[in-house]
Amino acid sequence: MEQLNPLTLAVVRHKLLAVTEEVVDTMSRTCFSPLLNQSRDFSAVILDAEARVLAQAERVPIHMGAMPFAVEAMQSAFSGNLHDGDVLMANDPYYGGSHLPDVTLAMPVWFSNQICFWVALRAHQGDIGGMSAGGYSPGAREIWHEGLRIPPIAFVEKGQQREDVLRMICENTRKPDDTRGDILAQLAAVRIGAKRLQDLLQRYGEDELAKCAKGILDAGETAMRDQLARWKSGTYHGVSYLDHDGCGNTRIPISCKVQLGDDQVTVDFTDCPDQVRSFINSPIANTVASVNVAFMYLSDDQQTQNQGSSRVINVITRKGSIVDSVMPAPVTGCTTLSGSVIIESVLRAMEEPASEHVMAGFARRFRFVIAGKEDRNGNPYIWHYFSNRGGAGANKNEDGWSNLGVIHNPGGTPSPSVERTEASFPLQVEQYELRTDSGGPGKSRGGLGGTYALRYIGETPAVLNAAGEGVEVAPYGILGGYDGVTHNYSIQREGELISLGTSDNEVEILPGDLIVCHSASGGGCGNPNERDKDLIRRDVEFEYISKEVADRIYHLGE
Amino acid sequence: MDIEHLRIGIDIGGTFTDLVSIDESGLICTAKTLSTPEDPSLGVMTGLELLAKKSTQSLSSLLKKTTLLIHGTTVATNLLVERKGAKLAMISTEGFRDILELREGTKANRYNLRTPFPQPLIPRPMRHTIKERVGWSGLIKESLNLAELETALKELRQHNVEGLVVCFLHSHRNPSHEIEVRKLVKELGWKVFVSLSHEVLSREGEYDRASTATVNAYVGPGLQGYLSKLERRLEKSGLNIPLLVMQSTGGVLPILEAGQLAGGSINSGPAGGAMAAGMFSAMSEIPLAVSYDMGGTSTDICLIKGSVPLERHTTEFEDVKIAVPTLDISALGAGGGSIAHLDRGGILDLGPSSAGADPGPACYGKGGLEPTLTDANLILGYISTETFLGGELSLSIEDAQNAIQERISKPLNLAPELAAIAINALASSRIAEGIRAATVRRGLDPRDFSLFAFGGASGLHAEAVINELSIPRAIIPREASVLSAIGFLSTDVRRDYHRSVGRPISDLDANELRSVFTELEAEAKNNLEAQGFDSENMKLVHSLDCRYARQVYTVNVRAYPSDFECDELNWLTAEFETTYKNLFQHIHDTEPGFIDTCNLTIFGTLPRLALPKHEIGDLDPGKAQKGERNIFISEWLSARVYWFEELSHGMRVQGPAVIDSPTTSVLISPDGVAEVDAYGSLHLYSNL
Repeated sequence: MEQLNPLTLAVVRHKLLAVTEEVVDTMSRTCFSPLLNQSRDFSAVILDAEARVLAQAERVPIHMGAMPFAVEAMQSAFSGNLHDGDVLMANDPYYGGSHLPDVTLAMPVWFSNQICFWVALRAHQGDIGGMSAGGYSPGAREIWHEGLRIPPIAFVEKGQQREDVLRMICENTRKPDDTRGDILAQLAAVRIGAKRLQDLLQRYGEDELAKCAKGILDAGETAMRDQLARWKSGTYHGVSYLDHDGCGNTRIPISCKVQLGDDQVTVDFTDCPDQVRSFINSPIANTVASVNVAFMYLSDDQQTQNQGSSRVINVITRKGSIVDSVMPAPVTGCTTLSGSVIIESVLRAMEEPASEHVMAGFARRFRFVIAGKEDRNGNPYIWHYFSNRGGAGANKNEDGWSNLGVIHNPGGTPSPSVERTEASFPLQVEQYELRTDSGGPGKSRGGLGGTYALRYIGETPAVLNAAGEGVEVAPYGILGGYDGVTHNYSIQREGELISLGTSDNEVEILPGDLIVCHSASGGGCGNPNERDKDLIRRDVEFEYISKEVADRIYHLGE
Repeated sequence: MDIEHLRIGIDIGGTFTDLVSIDESGLICTAKTLSTPEDPSLGVMTGLELLAKKSTQSLSSLLKKTTLLIHGTTVATNLLVERKGAKLAMISTEGFRDILELREGTKANRYNLRTPFPQPLIPRPMRHTIKERVGWSGLIKESLNLAELETALKELRQHNVEGLVVCFLHSHRNPSHEIEVRKLVKELGWKVFVSLSHEVLSREGEYDRASTATVNAYVGPGLQGYLSKLERRLEKSGLNIPLLVMQSTGGVLPILEAGQLAGGSINSGPAGGAMAAGMFSAMSEIPLAVSYDMGGTSTDICLIKGSVPLERHTTEFEDVKIAVPTLDISALGAGGGSIAHLDRGGILDLGPSSAGADPGPACYGKGGLEPTLTDANLILGYISTETFLGGELSLSIEDAQNAIQERISKPLNLAPELAAIAINALASSRIAEGIRAATVRRGLDPRDFSLFAFGGASGLHAEAVINELSIPRAIIPREASVLSAIGFLSTDVRRDYHRSVGRPISDLDANELRSVFTELEAEAKNNLEAQGFDSENMKLVHSLDCRYARQVYTVNVRAYPSDFECDELNWLTAEFETTYKNLFQHIHDTEPGFIDTCNLTIFGTLPRLALPKHEIGDLDPGKAQKGERNIFISEWLSARVYWFEELSHGMRVQGPAVIDSPTTSVLISPDGVAEVDAYGSLHLYSNL
């Protein structure tokens, strides 16, 4: 092949990134629902003609590795039957998707009568039908309980939008107007991306850009091989646990065997248990994406990551297992709950060869909503608990961050202010502070969890629905570091203490109840005896740890 | 030469302190001297001496004639960047000791999970909580526990605290508890810099207020100290007018307020450049402009609409949030000193790391081995070894070539000039993408803009940038090197006032809204009257931050005095919906809008700066030509070289050419053309 001009390659790579940024920018400016315009739970990628990701906007990590599966499923469903101006849509986990709320729109970019690129945008819809509002149903036992399945369909045919299809989708969600607005925003965004790519094709020609695509993927691969070569080859095992399967069984293992070579790595999940009846199953796209996220976190340089990097990562699964579920298993918990545990299992396996790069366990996600009759404006409301997401795991050189939260999307969206919460809902926040002694002890200490105390001051009872993880299984310590603490949520009612479980639903909340949420911390790294004495003294002075823990665990003495 | 009523702008930058004076006739005199970071006022005095010498008079006679002196300083910025600010303590509501440390749960650089945890500017032991509670509506739910407060203050006083931050929940609704803290501090005779969260920012959101008040107290004492030192020096030398200090909003404040609201000057440096671009837009009647200022380490981009730079609410400064209005200037990590390198996958990239001033680019010969954009431009012949920085620094082509050879040419198997052109083109492309992002984010099309290019390195990329974005022209002001200082002279005194409302539009009657603004107006006008402004020289701008009840982000809705005469608030709903729709392409027509905050900005207008307009003369630039030089574009070719200072009004330069000045060079490709306008600025035209 003729040599590629290094300048074109350098410029085109930046341009592709700029296009993905413009796509997500368009989306944020035009979308409807708060989940999207505030939490920005969406991601955009550009793929080459073979559905390999070339560039992605820095958004939700777990979307990146999953989207090629969706686009591949679209390609095979519409093989030979695609036209200029078509835009495809899908959300089905059993057609390359992750979970039903994540709806993907993808548009092939045509030039000289062939498809040269794809632009895809995945957005988490506020609702997708199913048993419960918002899509997280711990009670679901089949995929159909979880909402509307959309296998690959042509939402736009030769530039003509299918209004009938849009109506059908929207009427199957609880907020049809929001859904319509959000899907049309997605459409506007991918069309902008396609337009920009067509300009690039005009300018450089399809051959030159195809060479660039190859160059970008090769560079991603080179960078990942370079990274792998820094770690000691061998076979390593890792396991991490989900709290429970929602059907009475606790500590569900997700284990992997990592075979690390100089320029290839194989992650084998064959030993994982069979799929379960509740929503913690992970379809293959989500599992592969989680493994990619783990290796991204392990890398020294996150910038060079693309699908070229994942070419050297092979994932082996067993069909019908919890990490490669088949119909009709429900899967909504896969992105946040099982996704985190899959990432953890890989990180645990890499503790020995990549000890400079791994981090200890992070707090898991324990969400709940309170639904009541009257907010400050007299309307029914659903309040989402978005604060106090827990501590991050430590690594060999640094303490974990306090209040950073879950490993599948750390430091994602800002928590709402206490003032806004109180001004909008019949709720009063009485405390939001760091949780002393929570951080997993170690040479590097785990990040602290927090305490969030919320008093319900409405006039009539309200209802609480929980969905989460991290009450049974503590964030693990590594390399001699200790575990962090688990979440501990409870309701204080007239001196009585009612503990709150991760899948408790329809819990009645009475006026005056105080919901106290102690969030989980991060695990520690290294032997606490080796912690710098000045840091231990600082931690005591700052009340990150008590004097008692300083003496008993860190052996500060005097 | 008669220079009565002199106006002086002084801009202290990282390397140089720039001064510009302008007299009534519009005659400009400039001076440049090295900055003196240990005591920046020394550099200011040296610069003023230089300015006096240039106009053959004594410093005291210069200062006596001065009627306006506006000063922009990086003192506050440096204190924050270098983490050398005041020792602070904080008082907050019981149960909320960790507002700063919890950071709303966010992290910059989210994909790298091994970065060190950023300790907040106030360490935990210095953060005390007090029993008190104000409810969301402003009602006192629990009165302030004064005994507890007194104990806490006495305890903190033991620790040599220089700044005290007070942030109680809902103080934007009812500030009385915060005010009581200041009262008690006074009663105790404690002389400490006090920063009350509601005074710095009267808006909902405890983290925004706490963080902003903290930054304010962190840089406040240092800035106050510096400003009063400078004021004393200037008074001693004969200045008898109050000094004004440039703010991040593009306005100015007298030093007393500038010290109290110190956080407001953190981004004041780039604001000067944006204000200057605004001034040039007004002179040339340009409706939409984008300015880019390319320095050693970064490029600052700002949009200017109707000659007014656009603003934003909050600024993330590394890991610190500052939630007061500033000009919306976005920084891109690409400048003359940006290092070109191959990433781990072997693809060429530029920045964000920079060679800085020391060792600087390889061609400075100060031991830098990394190739930079400046090295590339030197190899290409775009910069002259003789005139760079006025010839004060001799550049080594050999060192530049070695660096590019070693790090780029050899691994990529490219001739050095091809590697250099790749680096140059990558820089242009990155700037173009940065400008595209800034315009597109606002829902605007870059093709409708004119480009202002200033700062040392920008002239070499201006033509490539406009070609890439199909922008019709780039304008390079002649005074590009002291443009920020000129920008200071095209400002007004400005203060921003906010009042939190937090109610749906449908809930409010017109009288209530009117009285909110009446109160704000009274406060604002009193303040400016005290500074000697009469009402003719005051300008008020009213606006409201609105949103839908469930949303977080607000849109800014402009209001006019006539609006407040209406008995209904239908106009507000209509304005809100129009503004919202323009930004987001939809509205929620079944939901009422929600008023978050009322804003009032007051301007005390300062006399306009008018640059002299000249007659257009001869087209032929021959007189300004200083020989020829070989440059590389796609091949080596000979380009005419011109002196910017000798190009007079109306001259037209056809490419290939290079226009040199002591501070910048402008590249004109074989297809490009440039003209000098009546103000002496260079207009470059796109060849598309």
